[in-house]
Amino acid sequence: MQAATALRGRKADSGQTTGRRLGHLLLVPTALWTVAFFLIPLILITVFSFGTENLITFNVDFGWTVSNYAAFGSALYVSTLLRSLALSLGTTAACALLGFPLAFFISRQRPRAQRALLACVIVPFWTSFLVRTYSWVNLLQTDGPIDRLAFGITGHHLQILYSPASIAIGMTYSYLPLMVLPIYVALERINPDLYAAAADLGARPWRQFRRVVFPLARPGLIAGIIIVGVPAMGEYVIPEILGGGKTLMVGNIIVGQYLDVGDYPFGSALAVSLMVILLAMLFALRRVQPAVEPR
Amino acid sequence: MRLRAHPVAGAVALAVVGFLWIPILAVAVNSINQNTLMISWGGATAHWYARALHDPNVRTGLTTTIEIALGSTFVSLVIAVSGALWWRAASARARAVYDATVYARIILPEVVFATALFFLFLKTHFPLGIVAIIIGHSVWNSAYAAVIIQARLVSLDPAIEEAAADLGATPWRAFRRVTFAALLPAIIAGGLLTFTFSFDDVVTSYFLGGSSASPLPLVLFGMIRFRITPEINAIGVMVMLFTVTLMGVAVAVFALMGSASRGRRGALAEFYGQ
Repeated sequence: MQAATALRGRKADSGQTTGRRLGHLLLVPTALWTVAFFLIPLILITVFSFGTENLITFNVDFGWTVSNYAAFGSALYVSTLLRSLALSLGTTAACALLGFPLAFFISRQRPRAQRALLACVIVPFWTSFLVRTYSWVNLLQTDGPIDRLAFGITGHHLQILYSPASIAIGMTYSYLPLMVLPIYVALERINPDLYAAAADLGARPWRQFRRVVFPLARPGLIAGIIIVGVPAMGEYVIPEILGGGKTLMVGNIIVGQYLDVGDYPFGSALAVSLMVILLAMLFALRRVQPAVEPR
Repeated sequence: MRLRAHPVAGAVALAVVGFLWIPILAVAVNSINQNTLMISWGGATAHWYARALHDPNVRTGLTTTIEIALGSTFVSLVIAVSGALWWRAASARARAVYDATVYARIILPEVVFATALFFLFLKTHFPLGIVAIIIGHSVWNSAYAAVIIQARLVSLDPAIEEAAADLGATPWRAFRRVTFAALLPAIIAGGLLTFTFSFDDVVTSYFLGGSSASPLPLVLFGMIRFRITPEINAIGVMVMLFTVTLMGVAVAVFALMGSASRGRRGALAEFYGQ
């Protein structure tokens, strides 16, 4: 017994030293890409967001100025940032409200039905995101199928295309699979004996759900909230297609400042502040997470 | 007693699945709809498919997209596989840093990342175009591939590699026949996933393509914004069929090779009397 442990220890040691030596080389591609094409660009825009643009040479003069950030004081940018925040939170909430029942329903089916339902959720996610978003333009337009249905019932036209509502629908639609999958994975990991134990101890189904299912699914829910809420805040394509150029999110302003106006320092300041807001949101969520880490 | 899903959960679930599929059905219907405004059904036609297939922008866009997707898939897999192998031997602290950079590459809004990389290329006079797009895509694509490959590597029992070494395999042979063989399904699945993500990308390509490269999603994006035509639906259906077929292959390969390697490990476990 002792000899076996010693033997295992020796093997692990020799494996580790060769692994370590090779390990340094293996990190090179990841390190190169992450540092050169991810970290340095982000540091660069952070530094240049404090610079000013020379209007004659179009060069960015570097100097510590906060003028790019001061421009946020204007009502347009404040309202756009707030609108992006509201759309991101609304999308995340809608995804959670629709995604949780779906994930729970899937996790309670037999294996074959589970696989079929999961395919129904994942397949739309794989296919052309642009065309699926565009499809909502046809579905939501005045005299389109949904509007006609609404007109038949209420006698009024919906007129939600090119409004924040149509952006919210398009975003919820696109991000929903990203919410369903982590919740499903968390639910799938729950030991079924726990349900039996809760039932034996007299817990009715609703109480079982509230005291067993929901707490154990919470890490999945939080993961879903992060991978939906953070990218949603910087969404560009969906408001561009479903906002009709009227309702803009911060992503659209950043692209506009960069590719149309060419005011790089101001565009950078917008991008950096978006990053800061998202980091703050992530830290807030981190404070919730440790308490619910599964054992 | 088995906890059953409440009928309300069932109703919501079915409604949500419908919500996910209705736009796809609408695309398919409109791709053969004669009604140009796509408000109602105007009879069937193959006209939009013919027009899409003869559109020179669509054709060059498709070739550009495939070149970019192949390039970024290759680069992403090199990064992800080497990174995952490094991760195995790394200390807990180094692993945490590595994982954080992987997740940061996945969740940072693409607009922020694409802006930053565009600015770097501008300042260093790196030419925009296909190569720039490949570099950009592989930054986030390598992170997705890393997650998939790492998940597979974690479940690989080091005892199997040690057994190979004990049985006289050289390190390279042990790597090739055991480690790499076990990782292959994850490499194929990760590769196909990164291919489809690259194939579908708008934002990074929009920033890094410059005037020289416009892949298919950018051609479509231009069409959607400036002229609404049912041709878009026809292209959409073809793109969807293509990516679904690819992912179907990925799933089949993963399932097939997954069970094969489970079988091998099962045999090994039996051999050890576990």
